Amino acid sequence: MSVDPEEFRSRVREFLESHAERRPHGIVPEWGEGDDRLSGFTTYTAEEEKVETAAARSWRRTLFDAGLGWLTGPVEYGGAGLGPEHQEIYDALAADFRIPSQRCFVVGLGIVAPTIAGHGGSDIKERYLAPLHRADLMACQLFSEPDAGSDLASVRTRAVREPGGWRVTGQKVWTSGAHYSDIGELLVRTDPEAPKHRGLTIMIVDMHDPAIEVRPLRQITGNADFNEVFIDGLFVPDSHVVGEPGTGWRVASSTLTSERRAMSRGGNTRDYDPLPRLQAAARALGRTDAATRVQLAELAVLSRVVAVTTRALAAADDDRAAFAPALGKLLMTDYLMRLRGVADHVIGPGIVADTGEWGTWVWHELTVRVLSQRIAGGTDEILKNIVAERLLGLPR
Amino acid sequence: MTDEREKDLASLREMVRDFLDDKWSEHQIRDVADGDTGYDEAVWARFAGELGLASLPFPEALGGAGAGWTEVGVVLEEAGRALFCSPYLASVVLAGAALLASGDRPAQERHLPGIADGSLRATLAAPEITGYRPGDQPPVTARRGAAGWVLDGHVAQVVDGATAELVLVVARTPDAGTALFAVGNGPAGSDGLVRTPLTTLDTTRKLARLDFRGVPAELVGADGAGAEILARVLDVAAIVLAAEQSGGAARSVGMAVEYAKVRRQFGAVIGSFQAVKHKCAEMLMLAEAARATARAALDALDRDDPEVPLLARIAGVYCSDAFVRCATENIHVHGGIGYTWEHPAHLWFKRAQSSRLLLGDPASQLDRIAELTEQPTGA
Repeated sequence: MSVDPEEFRSRVREFLESHAERRPHGIVPEWGEGDDRLSGFTTYTAEEEKVETAAARSWRRTLFDAGLGWLTGPVEYGGAGLGPEHQEIYDALAADFRIPSQRCFVVGLGIVAPTIAGHGGSDIKERYLAPLHRADLMACQLFSEPDAGSDLASVRTRAVREPGGWRVTGQKVWTSGAHYSDIGELLVRTDPEAPKHRGLTIMIVDMHDPAIEVRPLRQITGNADFNEVFIDGLFVPDSHVVGEPGTGWRVASSTLTSERRAMSRGGNTRDYDPLPRLQAAARALGRTDAATRVQLAELAVLSRVVAVTTRALAAADDDRAAFAPALGKLLMTDYLMRLRGVADHVIGPGIVADTGEWGTWVWHELTVRVLSQRIAGGTDEILKNIVAERLLGLPR
Repeated sequence: MTDEREKDLASLREMVRDFLDDKWSEHQIRDVADGDTGYDEAVWARFAGELGLASLPFPEALGGAGAGWTEVGVVLEEAGRALFCSPYLASVVLAGAALLASGDRPAQERHLPGIADGSLRATLAAPEITGYRPGDQPPVTARRGAAGWVLDGHVAQVVDGATAELVLVVARTPDAGTALFAVGNGPAGSDGLVRTPLTTLDTTRKLARLDFRGVPAELVGADGAGAEILARVLDVAAIVLAAEQSGGAARSVGMAVEYAKVRRQFGAVIGSFQAVKHKCAEMLMLAEAARATARAALDALDRDDPEVPLLARIAGVYCSDAFVRCATENIHVHGGIGYTWEHPAHLWFKRAQSSRLLLGDPASQLDRIAELTEQPTGA
């Protein structure tokens, strides 16, 4: 695989031209043409989701087999061994093409895979990393429980020691994508005698095992992106433990950091930022009044600030880099919540009822979905506690 | 940005911070606030003269260090953090950027070396510099007298207007619109220039009204180039000021956190209360974002990126707001004592409030941002 940026660029271009359709109008579709749904803020029906996920997996397979599926991963585990600059090149070029939504991989590739890469032994890395990036395996995150949300360390799903492994029983909740996942990253209590944060372990479990039952949970958008997961006497072999038993909290913390990083970047979807679409809507709908102009300008400021700050913090060479994901998520959330408020009056009545007018009703999705931004991946309040206590050193 | 330049910037920052930690304290800030000149001569002589920090953005051939605006931004960020009071903004940034933008080599040769070594204090007088909207104020006018150009009119607020030996002015000319003129630091002197120091909210940055009554002036740059030069100065200054504001915001957060760690009420340190904790976290977010935004704008300036006018407004709006909010909340975290004259928090607060209007009020900036972002930018 060529490392030279220009050679890489033409290789990627060549791949994209032969495997995908170029978007005729760039990121923002021409008003009135084609699919008006907002990337990152769309609700699929169960049937649509099956089709989309299958298309996404097929795309990933082709991409991986062309050597482009895991650009920054180490070669020994199936990656291309390239740098972040190559990822940037790919992302920039891919944005101009119609590619299946990569949303179904946010957990598997953005959260679970980095955890395995960071904490798993070589066996586990070999078993899962390449298959995850090739979409041969899909993954979910089995963390939260009905009684363990913000207080995640109080999880009660229990793993009891047996010869060769562990017997697991418990219940998880809010598990996004469990219904199409093959494996799950499970946070479980292996030592109830130890202090709360010390008796935890992370294990990789087989979601197809008959001891695991996945029940869809309907969310306020009307569909079920997430699930309840019931685990009843599941056997997990030692070879599926990530790191040592008892190190679960440390591993889980890095998983949460990955989750926040992903959320602060809009899951790495280039057209995730709804602002260009909102500006297009304002033009098309004739919203040229002064108040709207000002609000859109304020959003333009924040949009840029979020982007440069996330990047700057991640590149910081001091304490702040560790808190970049938390700070980034807080900033992104604040921005999206404000954008949601502006969308209301840019779009107008078409946002509360499907009148059939192109590009209006779709915005109601954002209105509703943004609420989960403040909760998932660590609530605003938890993140502020973390920043205040661990970065600023204020007392607990 | 090369690794080497990053290292150099880090060294520059450390050098400036160490100097200010050593030589600049609250005591000096208050002395300046109570005085007329707006700076401490001895400290300025070391800052500009010995350390050469005023020479950073100017070409070596004119006595400069041949560095970039990013270096200037680093210096001002530290200055903002320390509330260092000096002729820097007016001389190096406002006047300096105007002279660079004018392209007038003889004028640059006459004035820049003195600006660069700190011996010549300068400023730029134009209503837009202190936040007046175009048309709010009658312009200074220039006419051709027997011995050369002559200026009449007034500028309501001029940074360092009472003490700058060189006053650059944007004035309306009879033929071509507006042009840049120089008063002082030259053979014609500045007869007829009346300087009236103003009472200000921020006593650490002196402002004066300047009245021009038949004042002789030299044309700098082309007749008619006034608007273009002013636009460039506003871009550069907004970005560099944003860096200063980000430093002030960071200092405000630091002060608040320090206090929250020691003040006890209800048997506990107030920093353990969630409301206070969260407020500090929010302040930190603003300060970090301000810093990153100013830095991104400085990078764009050094690269001559076509987005500079947009980024200048974005950085201006965001960093102004961030500094005001951090400085406000710093007073708030301190409770009653934050509201006293004796506590230094109000000094940064007033600097924040004042800076917010420098170079353009937020509404005008947002208006310009709306204009610049209204049309889609390419596919």
